[in-house]
Amino acid sequence: MSLQLIPPDVNVDFVGKRYFFVALSTLINIAAIVLLVTVGLNYGVDFAGGSVVQIRFAKPTSGDEIRKALSALQLGEITVQDFGAKNQNQFLVRFEKVRNIGSLGTRIEGALNEVYGSSNQAHVLRVETVGAKVGHDLRVDGFLAVAVATVFMGLYIAWQFARVSWSFGAGAVIALIHDVLLVSGALVLSRFEFDLTTLAALLTVIGYSVHDTIIVSDRIREDAAKRRRESLESIMNRAINETLSRTILTSGTALTVLAALLALGGPILRPAAFTLFIGIITGTYSSIYIAAPVVLFWERGHRIKGAAARAA
Amino acid sequence: MAAEITTGRGVYRLLAVGPLEYTEADVLLTLAMERADGIERMLAKCRITRSLLQRLDPTEVIVEQLKGWIGGEFETIREASLKSIRSERRLHEIVFDQANRGPF
Repeated sequence: MSLQLIPPDVNVDFVGKRYFFVALSTLINIAAIVLLVTVGLNYGVDFAGGSVVQIRFAKPTSGDEIRKALSALQLGEITVQDFGAKNQNQFLVRFEKVRNIGSLGTRIEGALNEVYGSSNQAHVLRVETVGAKVGHDLRVDGFLAVAVATVFMGLYIAWQFARVSWSFGAGAVIALIHDVLLVSGALVLSRFEFDLTTLAALLTVIGYSVHDTIIVSDRIREDAAKRRRESLESIMNRAINETLSRTILTSGTALTVLAALLALGGPILRPAAFTLFIGIITGTYSSIYIAAPVVLFWERGHRIKGAAARAA
Repeated sequence: MAAEITTGRGVYRLLAVGPLEYTEADVLLTLAMERADGIERMLAKCRITRSLLQRLDPTEVIVEQLKGWIGGEFETIREASLKSIRSERRLHEIVFDQANRGPF
């Protein structure tokens, strides 16, 4: 006998709870916008510009001691972050604006070894620098990429479902904007670094979310053609319930892998794994509670307008 | 003294970090590749089978020998070195043995 997580005759009234969830999502989205404007994303070197230096020490030391040792170089404001496992004694040092950039690695190594001596030698494993102008350009390009991806995916769905209704495109775009805002808000709260890898993860979330929305919308379209006398609410509920097993299994397996990546992927992959983890949850949620209700609101609006026009 | 290579990303200096290390079969050289303007630097480890080297090759001679080969493979070495340090927090190891003699 095969294992069935979701019984085939499941009938949850998703659409009936749409007002509550739409209101909840609206509140969360407003909170995300406020967070993005007031607190802002924690931009990595890729977007903010500056330098990141990875240092390995022979023995344990602390961020404060490193900061003190580097103060002689007068490099401006720096942040020191413990990086990786404890016994590896590795640190990431970030500089927002570096003056006298020449031979940064050698100078840092020299300054540290002068203070720490041969008993705890420091090695600069890597130095990466992005200029402020390049960082700004990348930031603009990144946001453009997210905006263009969202709009074009919406247009594509609108075109695909044009014979039934344009509302599916509108639903998809609103669901995608909801997902991007919610994931961005989560990134602001978590203070995970937003770099090029995180941006790639955000674009992947858009792809995943639209895929999930298409599955639900396509079933609504099929069921609407088969059951012309049934109400749109009932057709939507039926479509969501019919695809529920697939939705839960697909998201569940993806989330399992991402949970492993979050726990074991290390500090470099963690922001991207977190973005994907939250994004897959919101992508699944928005296909049911955002995209479908938008279609319903749109269609109802049209029907009321049509009835009003006929009555006049 | 550092050896210099010209790459698609600008001029890079090759510097030996610390003295050579010896194991029974290999010689280990930690190499820093640093862009001349200092905006980028990464370390990699070269593991060279002893039989490929003259008995008393000093560090500078080995770095000089490696110069041309690293110049040709620079993009791959740079990417692998940065990835290894960022993600695995260890140095990328380039192995030179009888099967892959490199410049030796």
